[in-house]
Amino acid sequence: MTAEDTVAGVTARAVDGDGRISITLQVNGREQRIQVRPHHTLLEVLRNELGLTGPREGCGVGMCGACTVLVDGRPVSGCLLPAALAEGHELTTIEGLEGPNGELHPIQQAFVDHTGFQCSYCTPGFILTSKALLAEQPDASRDEARAYLAGNLCRCGSYVKILDSVMDAKERLKG
Amino acid sequence: MDSHPSFAPSGTQMQVPGMLDANLRVRGRVEYAMDAKLPGMIHAKLLRSPHAHARLVSIDASRARALPGVIAVITGPDLANRDDIYPYYGPIFRDQSVLVMDKARFVGDPVAAVAAIDLDTAQAALDLIDVEWEELEPVLSLDDALAAGSIVHDEPPRLGQTFADIIVRTEANSNICNHFKLRKGNIEDGFAQADHVFEDVFTSPPVQHVPMETHNCVAWWENGVLRLISATQMPFSVRAQLAEIFKVPQTRVRITVPTLGGGYGAKTYAKVEPVTAVLAQVTGRPVRLHLTREEEFVTITKHGMQIRMKTGVTRDGKIVARHSTCYFNTGAYADIGPRLIKNGGFGTGGPHKIDNVWVDSYAVYTNLAPAGAFRGYGVSQAAWAYESQMDMIADRLGWDPYEFRMKNLLNEGEPVMTGEPMYDAHFKDLLATAAERIGWDANVKAVRHGNKVRGKGLSVIIKASVTPSTSSASVKLNEDGSLQILSSAVEMGQGAETTLSVLGGEVLDLRLDQVSITHPDTDFTPYDQGTSSSRNTYSMGTAVKMAVEDIKQQLFRLASDDLEVAIGDLEVFRGRVQVKGVPERSVGYGDLVRKARAGNLLATAVYASNGGLDPETGQGIGSVHWHQAAGAAEVEVDLDTGRIEVLKYHAGVYAGRIANPAQAELQTEGNIAFGLGQALYEEMIYDGGQLQNGNLADYMIVSIEDMPRQISLDVLERHESHDIHGIGETSLPPCMPAVGNAVFRATGVRILDLPITPEKVLRGLRANARPQAHVQEIDA
Repeated sequence: MTAEDTVAGVTARAVDGDGRISITLQVNGREQRIQVRPHHTLLEVLRNELGLTGPREGCGVGMCGACTVLVDGRPVSGCLLPAALAEGHELTTIEGLEGPNGELHPIQQAFVDHTGFQCSYCTPGFILTSKALLAEQPDASRDEARAYLAGNLCRCGSYVKILDSVMDAKERLKG
Repeated sequence: MDSHPSFAPSGTQMQVPGMLDANLRVRGRVEYAMDAKLPGMIHAKLLRSPHAHARLVSIDASRARALPGVIAVITGPDLANRDDIYPYYGPIFRDQSVLVMDKARFVGDPVAAVAAIDLDTAQAALDLIDVEWEELEPVLSLDDALAAGSIVHDEPPRLGQTFADIIVRTEANSNICNHFKLRKGNIEDGFAQADHVFEDVFTSPPVQHVPMETHNCVAWWENGVLRLISATQMPFSVRAQLAEIFKVPQTRVRITVPTLGGGYGAKTYAKVEPVTAVLAQVTGRPVRLHLTREEEFVTITKHGMQIRMKTGVTRDGKIVARHSTCYFNTGAYADIGPRLIKNGGFGTGGPHKIDNVWVDSYAVYTNLAPAGAFRGYGVSQAAWAYESQMDMIADRLGWDPYEFRMKNLLNEGEPVMTGEPMYDAHFKDLLATAAERIGWDANVKAVRHGNKVRGKGLSVIIKASVTPSTSSASVKLNEDGSLQILSSAVEMGQGAETTLSVLGGEVLDLRLDQVSITHPDTDFTPYDQGTSSSRNTYSMGTAVKMAVEDIKQQLFRLASDDLEVAIGDLEVFRGRVQVKGVPERSVGYGDLVRKARAGNLLATAVYASNGGLDPETGQGIGSVHWHQAAGAAEVEVDLDTGRIEVLKYHAGVYAGRIANPAQAELQTEGNIAFGLGQALYEEMIYDGGQLQNGNLADYMIVSIEDMPRQISLDVLERHESHDIHGIGETSLPPCMPAVGNAVFRATGVRILDLPITPEKVLRGLRANARPQAHVQEIDA
């Protein structure tokens, strides 16, 4: 087998002596070539190989949303997606939202102005999911936002101010 | 734009944001303990007991040690053989060993620890450790424990140095871990005065804190000093325990604490630190241990509880006697349970004026995961009993639950259950507002709408803050007039660092950007008992204010010479000392520091509250001040499915003075989310000692969709009060009984055992087909 053979649409890879394969990820607009073990999740790779600490493990089973990553703009639990399957997709973490000098995205600014968090462990996930929501439904109602954000958990219970933040961000994005 | 207005404390130039480092937090760049990376760092995994109660016969880690990439494996017996280690810990009893040495006491009790170059290797090594267990009869329930057919701890617990307020009363050959007694008035006389006596049994299940960041730390040894970066609410307690374990002075242990991803009591006292520190010592490398969500569930829990409560009332509605017998399931290890049963025990007295109260409160060992501090600290369990029973009594006697409460709530100066007078009493104000906001109507019990029926419920609670307790703070005023606060307060999302900056900065009328505050570092920041018990804003806040006040007096003395006026004629204004009302005669703080050639002005203050209870009667000073809250819920119950929706929730809490309005609201809203979860969903379900739902797929916490669409808050402030009441927990305990009372009013079904699930409601509806009085029918 060569380094990459495609069989029925699935790419098989050569594994190195440490059990790793080479993959290329598009993260926050940059191409990153890294060695990963095939079972490593996108979350593990973002945190451990690429040093991006915004995505965080909360449950490890795709229920809490703290590890949310936008994959081609859609929110995905990074703890469930094997990193190798993220190849060829545009990945956005919270670190990719701010401007080059740390300027806040309007959604981030809304979360600051409403203090839409307490411990803020879940905040990157909420902000990324909110970004996907407002891209899909620019006029989302408060109820629609509640439904869309139901996969992100905040144990501190900052939900009221999270919704305030998202509704305000909606207006800001309309500008 | 509808942004949250920043808050300006009156008479100051300060603009207070919700959180000082909000910008970092929304960018995902705030650092938690788990984000720390050290050169050469390796990773730990724990092998845990598969049995609830089993003697360790043998353990062989040789195959694991031979696995390439494994740096070290330690087992319980390894520790037992080391003279240089005292392998036990626990904040009151040293009943927990770093690893199981003799027997495992719950499913998940760690028996061996692996350190390896990566997590994959550490995980693989666990499978190569051979353990032989001899299963013992497990103690799985309170009934098992009290029957004492099997004993969780064969020897009486080892006591160690502990807190000033702890009362210890253990029993030999028993699973009773501790017993708290309260004897107020004369209980027989009290019941003799009663026209009606009611006795009911209430239970609460164990639940877990579920901090989004699970327990984790990194430990390493540097020149004979044990260093840790840990997600703990109590750096000084952890330091003391580690110094005891390694038999070194406390100066040989240094703990730093970054911001926490939630705590809620879970991160009080040593948890993951002892075993990680031993691995670091054995390997000579930095070691990280970061628990999985499944491990978190069995690390520490809220106490499961059973309370038998007997209450006597007169025919005109006065409560004259209450007798409570409380069993708190503290699990396999005591943790802080021996203290918690005190607060939960005297807490059953409730916010009512009752002259005759008798309480026996027990912490009971079982072979379940250890229980300890949990937001609410025993009061949630107590309030579930007494606030449910208030409505049950009112219903049986045909009284309005609101009026019945109003008749019995404590007034100013009346004695609380521990005998001391109640000061700054606001129970009635809080209840009146709650009733008004929920639209309480004594004449309408339920409103039916097709197959759905709505009802409303009320509750009021009282809660102590740990007393006596101690906080200390140091402050430095620099040559440019900026102020540094050195504090061991742990920022865990409650805004501690923001609030303390406000409280310190306003004494000198500084802008917030002129004030900085440290994270805890036990080498540099002074002692604090811990960030728990809703004590930080009050206790640490007082210490900070005292220290900055000292700086202010130093500035006045310096300025008095400089401006040639008496100290009494001086005031501070925007970073300068000036002659009162004469801004042109002023001098900047920085100028005074430089003229004094001090480099910086320094001050340290210690705030220690006084109090404590008599060990035989439970009478004395139970709390430096009493926290007060009310709740009101409107629920809608689907009569076909039993499903409960909380349509509206009102939380009222007395705050004294509010130091940070955004955080005051967030804490209170957070309590609603926490409380509704415990009211409706949360329960750790065990089968034969095996936890069945220890993950977030099976264990439900409140999501954004579960929040009531209508929430109102009454964070009650009394501007003339300088007394700040911590509000991190207070509005939580009312949630469960408010919902339970609302479900009863809607359906006539009384749930005594939390959580209030659709199954229980349906079962109740079927068993209890009596027609509801006062149900208003409206068209579907």
